[in-house]
Amino acid sequence: MSTGMEVCPRCRGTEVEMQYQGKEDGRVIWSILHCRRCSFSWRDSEPPESIVPEKRDPFFNVNPDDINRYPIVLAPTP
Amino acid sequence: MEEIPARSPVEKVTNGAQPSIAAPVKSQRRIGSLRDFLALLAENRQCITWPDPVMPEPDIRYAAVAAGNDVQGGPAIIFDKIRGYPGRRLAIGVHGSWSNIALLLGRPKGTTIKEMFFEMTRRWGAKGAKPQLDWIKPEDAPVYEHRLEQDINLYDLIPLTRINEFDGGFYIGKAAVVSRDPRDPEDFNKQNVGIYRLQLHAPDRFSLLSIPAHDIGRQILIAEKERRPFRIAVMLGNHPAIAMFAATPLAYDESEYSYASAMMGQPMTLTQSGNGLDILAETEIVIEAELMLGERILEGPFGEFPGSYSGVRRAPVFKVTAVSHRRDPIFESIYIGKGWTEHDTLIGLSTSVPIYSVLKDQFPEVQAVNALYHHGMTGIISLKNRYGGFAKSVALRALGTPHGLMYLKNLIMVDDDVDPFDLNQVMWALSVRTRASDIIVLPNMPMIPIDPAAEVSGKGHHLIIDATSFLPPDNVGPDVKLVNRPAGEHIERLMRRIREMQEEGAR
Repeated sequence: MSTGMEVCPRCRGTEVEMQYQGKEDGRVIWSILHCRRCSFSWRDSEPPESIVPEKRDPFFNVNPDDINRYPIVLAPTP
Repeated sequence: MEEIPARSPVEKVTNGAQPSIAAPVKSQRRIGSLRDFLALLAENRQCITWPDPVMPEPDIRYAAVAAGNDVQGGPAIIFDKIRGYPGRRLAIGVHGSWSNIALLLGRPKGTTIKEMFFEMTRRWGAKGAKPQLDWIKPEDAPVYEHRLEQDINLYDLIPLTRINEFDGGFYIGKAAVVSRDPRDPEDFNKQNVGIYRLQLHAPDRFSLLSIPAHDIGRQILIAEKERRPFRIAVMLGNHPAIAMFAATPLAYDESEYSYASAMMGQPMTLTQSGNGLDILAETEIVIEAELMLGERILEGPFGEFPGSYSGVRRAPVFKVTAVSHRRDPIFESIYIGKGWTEHDTLIGLSTSVPIYSVLKDQFPEVQAVNALYHHGMTGIISLKNRYGGFAKSVALRALGTPHGLMYLKNLIMVDDDVDPFDLNQVMWALSVRTRASDIIVLPNMPMIPIDPAAEVSGKGHHLIIDATSFLPPDNVGPDVKLVNRPAGEHIERLMRRIREMQEEGAR
């Protein structure tokens, strides 16, 4: 269920899917989005410091192309 | 509930003791579930229902932090007007203050931490403290009031919120995860109940963060190596003793259910999950899931109990196979971050007691263990000093306890005339009883990977500060005699009288 327009606030990838919408009386209050590239999930109603790329602390950016930066916690048997 | 026995060593430590201002507990009836406990808390004015509509972020986080800032008396909060989650309920701060922990232990609000510690050590060590576990059929278990085996969307059932602003997603932070040894699935005692952080990646998929030192970490590695199916049951909204003791570092073949039941002195009712695990019959929500063998997904960051974010890692993934829940389930969440938070009150005592229990077995000189600080990253142990250097040997033994291996980073050893729960007294011992030669640093040791001070994640130091008195064959130095500080019942009576005089003056 890709929106086709969303960009991930964390990795700026475009493989974004909408996974759920919170509704009241049929009206959409917010949507939960998920980035298939870096696994970030967010709600579009959150404060901008969490979900707007320009307002986020760049320390928390993730680059899935550099996957070896992210250790495997339980190394699976090859 | 019985009183703390008079012979308890705590009675001898009176410096700085507060006279009890505890109010009588209103109810000591059996607690069988989260709902029972919330009712008990509400009767004791320790649970409130938030009256206004809130946004999932940041409102719930802010309210949880504000309530938790009152470490002694903060209430649990139930939210039932969360925007976008109509009809859903979330409880937070259930174990968020010492008053709530006291009520869980059947003690009145205002019970001191030290009293609760000895209450728990007494129950754990007591001869009659047998676990009472009852099993009921799934059809009789409240958790099976509703069951879903297809088209599962956890977002639809659970009002998830982002716990800290830079978390990598929506986390289930207070789940008790049940699993069995994949090589010995019939052994009840090797069934593990542990609290692990779960991050949702899809409506029916989540990651679970563990390390090889955790029981479940070991089990995942075995299952993947031998290509065995590995099924878990994730319990949400649990009996409050399970939340407290699932985080307790027991030996591999000790059951958390047995431990929790013995600690509560009450029966605990279990039933079978659809995938063959023992679960609490009155839990709010149970998610059944299966490990996707060999698969890893980017997980984190997550604001963790040391007060820092743990980084992004690649963690195992589980696929949800079924969900059972009570009617109108309550999702229990937790705020974790820079302390103090609910995490600290939730597991502080259940971290301290097992360390004490192991040490006391071999060293009866050990008097008390205070490992309240950040899951025991700093701990204080009091003991009767036998000879110069004795405390250092006891400290090394503490580092060999299941929890000590990777968590007891800084250990302060004090004499039995120092109350380890009174930091003013501990600082006194540090000030007057430590010498440079009383400090041991064990570098490059295993350490929890989320220690923010680590240069290499998973490695770190253990620091032992021996702040006990000097005894032969120590060189005791020049003649020194300690001041005898007036203490005991007479002083406590005077303290109460002075307080009454103050209160009268205020009127």
